[in-house]
Amino acid sequence: MKELTRDDATLLELVDRLLNKGVVLTGEATISVAGVDLIYLGLNVVLAAVESIEKSQERRAS
Amino acid sequence: MTLLAHAITAAPPAALSPEGLRGRPLAWSEAAAGLGLWSTDWTPDLKLERPDALEHHRLVERICAAQPCLPVRFGTAFANADAARASLDKRAETLHAALARVSGKSELALTLLWRDQAAVAPRSATGPGRRYMEQRRAELGAREAKRARAESMVERIVTELAIERPLVWHETCTTANVAVSLAVLVPTERALDRKAELGRIASEFGDVITVLNGPWPPYTFARTE
Repeated sequence: MKELTRDDATLLELVDRLLNKGVVLTGEATISVAGVDLIYLGLNVVLAAVESIEKSQERRAS
Repeated sequence: MTLLAHAITAAPPAALSPEGLRGRPLAWSEAAAGLGLWSTDWTPDLKLERPDALEHHRLVERICAAQPCLPVRFGTAFANADAARASLDKRAETLHAALARVSGKSELALTLLWRDQAAVAPRSATGPGRRYMEQRRAELGAREAKRARAESMVERIVTELAIERPLVWHETCTTANVAVSLAVLVPTERALDRKAELGRIASEFGDVITVLNGPWPPYTFARTE
């Protein structure tokens, strides 16, 4: 497993807040970041998913 | 034209620079209930990228510095201003209460990362089945000990900060690296003092690395559901 640095932790904490916290309003559009639905990009899953996302990108590229 | 939402504030809107995400126009949509939504005029064919999330954060910081605000989850979009107004009006009472709760306050974020990631050593055992069982038991015990340790750190932080429970949010052991992820809501004018206190308390824990951020807009405490 990749060691989590202070910068990683800061970024992940912030991203977690942007994507998982704040007011949830019912919007009319579904927006994704780089093809991944925002709702799946929270801190808890980002850490676990980074490796699998990277692998799937590698698979797509090859 | 889509509206990409940033934050909810009470009317009237503060005087802000008209620049939203990627330099596009920043818009204010006022609902009937004395609330309004700050958003960027967007087009659905524009895909959001990681830098947009960080720019949204800076925009929310700018809005929160100008008037009490509720950050909206990044990626929320409305087809038009009428749809945005309708969404706010539907939940006006809850949103007013949330605004009152976070008004004049900021969020501090503390992450504690385990310093030692040493693997659990299995006891010597004969046979692969027994070795496997002993390894599993040792790992489970280590996990439970870490969770207990993380919870005890949270207790100490809350006690030493002398802060009310509703103003603290935390999770423990969300991943192998993270011991504690904690947010506290503090008065904005005292945020830097409280941050220093939080850092001092956390620095006394020898088994974790402290990552302290903020003051940030009150993302964690703006949730209404």
